[in-house]
Amino acid sequence: MSSTLPSEPGAAAHGATPRGLVAKGPIAKRTIDMQVIGEWVEPNARVLDLGCGRGELLDYLVQTKQVSAVGVDLDFTRITASVRRGLSAYQGDMTDFMRSFPDRHFDRVICSRTAQELNDPSDVILEALRVGRALTVGFVNHGFWKNRFDGLFRGRKPRNAVYTTPWHESRPANPLTIADFEDFCRARQIRIARRVHLLGDWRTRCPAFPNLLAGYAVYDLMKD
Amino acid sequence: MTDEVQVPTASRSVAEAGSRDDVGIVQAHDFIYPRPFTFKSGQTLPGFTMRYETYGVLNATRDNVIVICHALSGDHHCAGWHSAADRKPGWWNNLIGPGKAVDTRRFFVVCANVLGGCQGSTGPSSPNPATGEPYGVRFPFVTIRDMVHAQKLLLDHLGVAEVYAVIGGSMGGMLAMLFVIEFPGFVRRQMVMASTSRESAQAIAFNEVGRQAIMQDPAWNQGVYPRDGGPRVGLAVARMMAHITYLSDVGMDRKFGRRKRESAGSDAYILDAQFEVESYLRHQGQSFVTRFDANSYLYITRALDQFDLAHAYGSLEQAFAPVHAESLIVGFTSDWLFPPEQNREIALALLRAGKRATYAELATDLGHDSFLLESEELYALVRAFLERGEPYVFDFAI
Repeated sequence: MSSTLPSEPGAAAHGATPRGLVAKGPIAKRTIDMQVIGEWVEPNARVLDLGCGRGELLDYLVQTKQVSAVGVDLDFTRITASVRRGLSAYQGDMTDFMRSFPDRHFDRVICSRTAQELNDPSDVILEALRVGRALTVGFVNHGFWKNRFDGLFRGRKPRNAVYTTPWHESRPANPLTIADFEDFCRARQIRIARRVHLLGDWRTRCPAFPNLLAGYAVYDLMKD
Repeated sequence: MTDEVQVPTASRSVAEAGSRDDVGIVQAHDFIYPRPFTFKSGQTLPGFTMRYETYGVLNATRDNVIVICHALSGDHHCAGWHSAADRKPGWWNNLIGPGKAVDTRRFFVVCANVLGGCQGSTGPSSPNPATGEPYGVRFPFVTIRDMVHAQKLLLDHLGVAEVYAVIGGSMGGMLAMLFVIEFPGFVRRQMVMASTSRESAQAIAFNEVGRQAIMQDPAWNQGVYPRDGGPRVGLAVARMMAHITYLSDVGMDRKFGRRKRESAGSDAYILDAQFEVESYLRHQGQSFVTRFDANSYLYITRALDQFDLAHAYGSLEQAFAPVHAESLIVGFTSDWLFPPEQNREIALALLRAGKRATYAELATDLGHDSFLLESEELYALVRAFLERGEPYVFDFAI
């Protein structure tokens, strides 16, 4: 089970925009979903971030929403970075972690940009919907036309602002599209409370045909 | 109380004893508690002595205090040198000092020998004032909780207003946990490394073999022996076996392999030590008997075995319910005495209880003793935990 990102693209951009998103000016793609996710997080909520990396998102949520935050990641140096931000973090497998918590222990679980790296996505998502009252999932839409173009015409593995690495430097991935994801939710009776589809700039809302036109998708899920 | 409350400035005068970032030459102090002290067992001592060291300077608000808790065979001397002739510095010298992860330019570090110990604090080898003879096995049964309550008396004596962090590995981690449970408003952070909330049957079993080695040695004599005598063979064997549990298979193989002693010669058909690992363990056993009291070993291993937070407080979550401190729990992959799972469980229980807690796991091959490792990664983690900003001020205990 991988709970980490394949690389640290945009890390410099994070360094350049500390406290992130309140700052005006150019914002890296990586920070866009932080805004969307942040809007859905209730103030003072108890939040679990699966694949917390260096804790940027949780730090942002602590600053803006005063959440009580826990992050899970596999990497010691990322845990160290999260500790430096004052966060609670757990080094280990995200599913094992969730299994040791009672139902609805968290107000919200966040699984941002990690969905395509999960070993057993349905296991993780269902477990997250058990321990959390709500689940935010954000993922790169591999149905986005440019990603299709990469495969169809260039004959290459899709590359984008988050998944920047060529094949030989990437972790095993399990790419998904918006259509795949919505099919899954329907099949598992997972209620989609909110959805946001962003165009290739990851900023502009996608007006239509999201599976083709959206570069990034964020879903707010609940299990009734 | 004979001991002046000294708030020493870090001694740099004897830089030749160590490298420049050492705390230099340090001196132990004795805190004498003159009033009766009641143990958890109900037994009492008329008073006790606690030997301790401090490094750095206590600040005006008396809240820059880091308490270091030692492990079973450790002591109060965790950094610096006692004299320029010392061969080895304090046991955690790599972690503690000016500019080090536990920075003595910022923090006032206190480390005390546990009650029941034998390195200067009152324990079974101390004379019973009623008889003039050592207490031996008439010493009250000591628990980790008793050790912590005794150390709190020392901290009160030093005028400590608040503990910035309590740090301990192995048994020291048990003390740290009880510090934040028993004195929740007093301790702001705890760092627990290679520890457990209760020993496994295997760990208890190893302790029992050690105790039997001591108690089956005729020189133990029901705990009555002269100061320079006693069950030297039994204690050495106990230490040899325990030492194996502090290492790992891979680590020992890397250090010793099947290398033979130079003096072993070509004759394989002798029973005397041939392999380096044999002579290493013999040396460990022999040097241990010169510095450790067998009855203390019995008492402290018993305290380790009795330690069980879930049993004592109903559950681990209930044990941690009063905790205000932020916690950092660190496990080590090759530790099979207090393995990573047992350290994870501490962090998970803290999180389930709604506390701020982090679990980090370092990949090492040095076994249980990994917490003493010279590791930049570990130092970075300790620094991150100690030097991060003030805790956010909202209540986490939802």
